[in-house]
Amino acid sequence: MTDEEGWQRLDPRKLLLDPVKTAGQFLLPAVVAVLGVSSSGSAWPLWAVPLLVIAPIAFGVLPWVTTRYRITDTAFQQRSGLLNTKQLSAPLDRIRSVDLEASLLHRVLGLAKVQIGTGVDDTRITLDALAVPQAEELQHYLLARRTTAAAEPASESDERSPGPPPRADEAQVLARIDWSWLRFAPFSLSRLAVVAGAIGVLSQFGDELPFLDQEHLSSAWGWLSAIAIPLIVLTALVVGLVGWTVISVAGYVLQWWGLMLVRDHGLVRLTAGLVTTRSTSVEEARIRGVERTEPVLLRLVGGGELATLATGVGVGGVTKVLPPCPVQVTTDVGHTLLKEDSPLSVPLLPHGPLARRRCHVRAQWPTLGLTGLAVVPTVALDLGWWVPVLVLVALGALGVLTAEMAWRHLGHALTDLHLVAGSGALERTRTVLERDGVIGWVLRQGFFQRRLGLATLVATTAAGAERVVIRDLALGPAVALADAAVPGLLTPFLARQPNGPPPTGERPSGTSVAQG
Amino acid sequence: MSSLESALREPANRVSSRAVPFWRLSAALGGLVVWVGAGLAFFLWPDRPWWGTLGLLAVALIPLGYVTVMPSLRFRIHRWEVTETAVFTRSGWLSREQRIAPLSRVQTVDSHQGALMRLFGLSTITVTTASAAGPIRIDCLDHQVALGVVAEVTRITGAAEGDAT
Repeated sequence: MTDEEGWQRLDPRKLLLDPVKTAGQFLLPAVVAVLGVSSSGSAWPLWAVPLLVIAPIAFGVLPWVTTRYRITDTAFQQRSGLLNTKQLSAPLDRIRSVDLEASLLHRVLGLAKVQIGTGVDDTRITLDALAVPQAEELQHYLLARRTTAAAEPASESDERSPGPPPRADEAQVLARIDWSWLRFAPFSLSRLAVVAGAIGVLSQFGDELPFLDQEHLSSAWGWLSAIAIPLIVLTALVVGLVGWTVISVAGYVLQWWGLMLVRDHGLVRLTAGLVTTRSTSVEEARIRGVERTEPVLLRLVGGGELATLATGVGVGGVTKVLPPCPVQVTTDVGHTLLKEDSPLSVPLLPHGPLARRRCHVRAQWPTLGLTGLAVVPTVALDLGWWVPVLVLVALGALGVLTAEMAWRHLGHALTDLHLVAGSGALERTRTVLERDGVIGWVLRQGFFQRRLGLATLVATTAAGAERVVIRDLALGPAVALADAAVPGLLTPFLARQPNGPPPTGERPSGTSVAQG
Repeated sequence: MSSLESALREPANRVSSRAVPFWRLSAALGGLVVWVGAGLAFFLWPDRPWWGTLGLLAVALIPLGYVTVMPSLRFRIHRWEVTETAVFTRSGWLSREQRIAPLSRVQTVDSHQGALMRLFGLSTITVTTASAAGPIRIDCLDHQVALGVVAEVTRITGAAEGDAT
């Protein structure tokens, strides 16, 4: 397994894994080919059959033969490729995350796929596959080496975290699946797209049904329109609701089975999954904030979701750590992750009547545009004046509703360690970002905002979506907020007020410094 | 509403005064396309109704307004400043944008010169941080000034430690 230079191969059971996987991909075309050829009476399937067996095996063996990896004193290296050898090297102190993933096939064979995130760019080093104990050992080793190799960032993270840090050798469970949370599954629409796609596929088969032709349909129509339409609609509704409940609950169980969120050795590890198990580890110091979302349906039943905002874990950097669950749970877990007890519960400072006006005007632009569009067919086809009026009233009402919701969700707060931003119209979102994670400010004033003296403040960061947007804040408080959140950065650029308070020193009372 | 009146002052430096003719020329080149289109429509559509003429006239006037108003307005708005600790810029013409990034978090500094910009001896500097939302552009600096700024920012950021996230 190990040669003199320390290069190691993947687990030999990969020799079973890949052929089965490749065979799966080969199987359908192969069967089609063999059936198609044999029905045309040719003789070549006889020698083609061994080829179909050998090809997947050859394809499966190749990666195992060519892939090797080793750990030197300073780096993790992977070598792959048959003719063009590729060598990937990641310095140990740059390794940000080590994830394990196992599909059903992996689990049957006792294997796991290891993915190593380096945070330098978006490429992740993948080792597919190692034996589970070996993979866990590697994960443990790499992450432990990271802390010793990067002693300086570790001490920096200790400075940031007040209170006693958890002892290195004890794992702290932050969250565990609670099956009473299943009641939230049907209210989370994130899986709806998948279902819609499936229905689309199924409807293709509808054409094949023998009774769905023109003649039957038209004779059935009279009967239908007489009695059955309400019944059909009702049945469709019930079937749809029951189907949706079953699908959403099943999806929830598949994705979140055995959920464990653990803090261990300065790492936050998430494990979950029924068929495919995932284990994601992120360095705690890399977690620069959290985001709680409460989609409109979920909010009706008091549920929410929680994600972490981390740096150096590839594009996005937003990792969902809690499934739809009670809001209180997201608050508690979020606070434990943030090491501060207020950011997710502190009341947000609203942005005032001018921001409300801005929200309403902004929401009515589409109404205006679409009403204008509706006038065109009305004039061209002579439809009657009520068409554009109907569009205007319906969209206008919708606009008022969403604008009001958007304004209610709008807000900001500043705690001892974090910047908090509220946003979203239909979905209420609260983004919490470590003040130390802010790496710049953008203060933007659109044409209409400038007339109202409003501004949009954007905190740029390397974590999560890489920006936290605080919309429609009055210009003065916006500057004050930015100045208070990252003391010192704005100081040289503040205008001297002739009779106002000095721009630095004690915080004026208007700033929203919430005490944690 | 808060009674607090904090405000940012203007960044110290203007961009190169040659930026005005440069913006005017590039706006005019864009406008040329519109004018050619409008001119073609004017001749190829002789029996247009009165509102057709009016529409064409309006279309032709928009770039004209843009070419005359935008460059000088933009020259008044665009300002920049680099201190020992931060980069600070203001840009825009109808809308405004102020950007600030601490030099300790800066990752790269590039200068860029398009063909037309070379004609005017101008350069644009882009300062990036670890955030995709945070690149700071200083448009249309004098080329020599730009080189000086790049060297200066590189010197300051080179002294900073950590991985700037």
